[in-house]
Amino acid sequence: MSFLGKIFTWWNGATIGTSLFTMRRGEKVGTDAQGNTYYRSRNKRDMTTAGSYIGAERRWVIYEGANDASRVPPEWHGWLHGSFDDVPESYLPPAKIWETEYVPNATGTADAYRPQGALERGGKRVKAVGDYEAWTPE
Amino acid sequence: MPKVTVDGQEIEVPNGATVLQACELAGKEIPRFCYHERLSIAGNCRMCLVEVKPGPPKPQASCALPATDGQEIRTDTDMVKTAREGVMEFLLINHPLDCPICDQGGECDLQDQSMMYGRGATRYEENKRAVTEKYMGPLIKTIMTRCIHCTRCVRFSEEIAGVDEIGAIYRGEDMQITTYLEQAASHELSANVIDLCPVGALTSRPYAFEARPWELKKTWSIDVSDAVGANIRLDSRGREVMRALPRINDAVNEEWLSDKGRYQVDGLSRRRLDKVYIRKDGKLVPAEWNEAFAAIAAANPKGSIAAVAGDLVDCETMFAAKALLGALGSDHLEGRQTGLDYDCSNLAAVNFNSTFEGIENADAILIVGSQVRWEAALVNVRLRKAAKRGAKIFVVGPQWDTTYPATFLGEDAAVLHDLPQAITEAFSKAERPAVIVGGGGLAKGALHPALAFAEQFNLVREGWNGFNVLHMAASRMGGLMLGYAQKGGIGNIAKAKPNVLISLGADELDYGAFADSLKVYIGHHGDAGAHAADIILPGASYAEKDGTYVNTEGRVQFAEKAVFAPGDAREDWTILRAMADALDVSVGFDSFAELQSAMIAAVPALGEEGLADFGQLPNADASIRASGAISYPIADFYMTNVVARASATMQRCSSELLHHDDLKEAAE
Repeated sequence: MSFLGKIFTWWNGATIGTSLFTMRRGEKVGTDAQGNTYYRSRNKRDMTTAGSYIGAERRWVIYEGANDASRVPPEWHGWLHGSFDDVPESYLPPAKIWETEYVPNATGTADAYRPQGALERGGKRVKAVGDYEAWTPE
Repeated sequence: MPKVTVDGQEIEVPNGATVLQACELAGKEIPRFCYHERLSIAGNCRMCLVEVKPGPPKPQASCALPATDGQEIRTDTDMVKTAREGVMEFLLINHPLDCPICDQGGECDLQDQSMMYGRGATRYEENKRAVTEKYMGPLIKTIMTRCIHCTRCVRFSEEIAGVDEIGAIYRGEDMQITTYLEQAASHELSANVIDLCPVGALTSRPYAFEARPWELKKTWSIDVSDAVGANIRLDSRGREVMRALPRINDAVNEEWLSDKGRYQVDGLSRRRLDKVYIRKDGKLVPAEWNEAFAAIAAANPKGSIAAVAGDLVDCETMFAAKALLGALGSDHLEGRQTGLDYDCSNLAAVNFNSTFEGIENADAILIVGSQVRWEAALVNVRLRKAAKRGAKIFVVGPQWDTTYPATFLGEDAAVLHDLPQAITEAFSKAERPAVIVGGGGLAKGALHPALAFAEQFNLVREGWNGFNVLHMAASRMGGLMLGYAQKGGIGNIAKAKPNVLISLGADELDYGAFADSLKVYIGHHGDAGAHAADIILPGASYAEKDGTYVNTEGRVQFAEKAVFAPGDAREDWTILRAMADALDVSVGFDSFAELQSAMIAAVPALGEEGLADFGQLPNADASIRASGAISYPIADFYMTNVVARASATMQRCSSELLHHDDLKEAAE
């Protein structure tokens, strides 16, 4: 990411302010398969999650690429929201072989689902049949 | 006329009114389950509790309490509300909580009233009562656990239908509604108990789990399964008519509907004609509209064309065909497909003059050749009412199972010329005597003898006209008004040997007599007519076009279009209009509105909804003698028209209820 892009865009990764804040106060915890990096506050006492009554530590993610919350995979989602404190690799059981790769929400992208007959899929609809039974001479 | 006070408002109520009716008159809504305007009062649901002074200091069931002078009725006190809530709670003790999977959901009295009087939570931990399933035939689906014992269905079959089919066994909480020995309910009005049932205990079997009431488009239409012209509401979703329900019209069907009118609608999506067919080398092959019109033009229809109207067509279609024939210089119009040729010079003589509402008040009725139960089930209800009021009923014709006491006078129509003493006695004493001539009687020439009978016993008197003809086809009276009647009937048309025969959905016609004509069938179902036709032009059924219908009492009624016709099918008048272009003649209308105004200009009575006035009865022609054994035209109640014959439900009714075939499922 170019320096200018860092200054003028906010939709890819952290802004300069967030990067500075993360450098000063953050402690890196891990990285997921997509390269998103997860941080928590280095000093637990003075950096609680806003609105938390129990003084839970603040945790955040800096995305590798687009800032899209659905890019957080489920295992890190649990850590990020305080369901467990250990990093997923050690806390969660190993991934099963039948588990598929996590895919972020595709809504609004070219990969989004289009129903059959949608204009983006050629606009060809299947013929409506079967709501009546036609008579034939035979 | 007693004066009562309802919630501080003083009103006068008719003599014999109940407290519930008084409250209704005052505009107060009283919740009820068992009370129904057209049934006797049972007073067993206790939902209609009100406070009445003078009287014991407790809530009273208003439906069974006569209104008397000086009563003070309160419907809005805390006591009333608490009492109704208590009743509702009792009803719900044993009512299952299955509204989400219940077909009555959305149109359920219990659901609606529990919104007002139901408690938020239950106080009971005990198990609910469960009731074994009952079998009530192919039309009524039962989930008797839902029954709240209002006994409306029992009262309906006893009082209105006149058939002791449904009853209750056991007592109290264990009471169960059932048909005797779990036979199918087999009378022709059986499905009305579905409408009457305030909960989902009796629901419609063919419609089970098909749709929810709020997702259906409701269209006001007219039933064409018989000549009664019952007012119906067609509920449709998309292209499909899901169900037909009766509309309230006290003059015609009250709020009942025959099973055929109600359940033939599934035939509307089977065996449909959806393409043009032309017969080539003896085989019907799909074709284009233009080809078909060219073939008709090639047959040289000018001056040699005939039109036969089927039983289900509307007046507009018949008028459009009449206009086309007129433009081509022909007047070979006929609607009586089966070959009847009674005298139609005066329509008063072929009309149900007493009206359905009036026939209830008759005190002596002679039925000549009509199996009223099958030919017009709703008229039979009226006759039963008349019989309950003391009317003496005589029938000429083969025995059938009347729902009221009736004397059968033998099958020979000649009995009209040699009346038994019982008749002469009953009719000379009667104040409102009536005669009903049915299709079977007309076939044996009973029309003029019946007119002579009317003269002899003075059936037409001040405020009363007792001469009636009962038709069976929805299109008959409209057709007669539009001139679809030849002297000599259909035989005369066959003798004229027209080049082209236009059949407007005529399926009862003997096409063998028209072997030399080009037979053009404009209709909606593939049946006898389509098989015999040379050219098939797909038309619209009664649910798929606007149209005017005239019932057998001369009542002009308008039906609206509920759904679109399938495939290539068009509304019938547009086919005739396009045919006029192809034949290079002008029929004088380009739109449905123009067609209607042309029709109304030609026959003004068709422009006004309500009873048409046909004037005075003609004098009887004494030279016409009725003779021969009467036979009834309907062999199978459930199979009388193309829609019903295509309907799977009607086929099942016919095989199970009339022919008593064992069902495959039951045998396995």
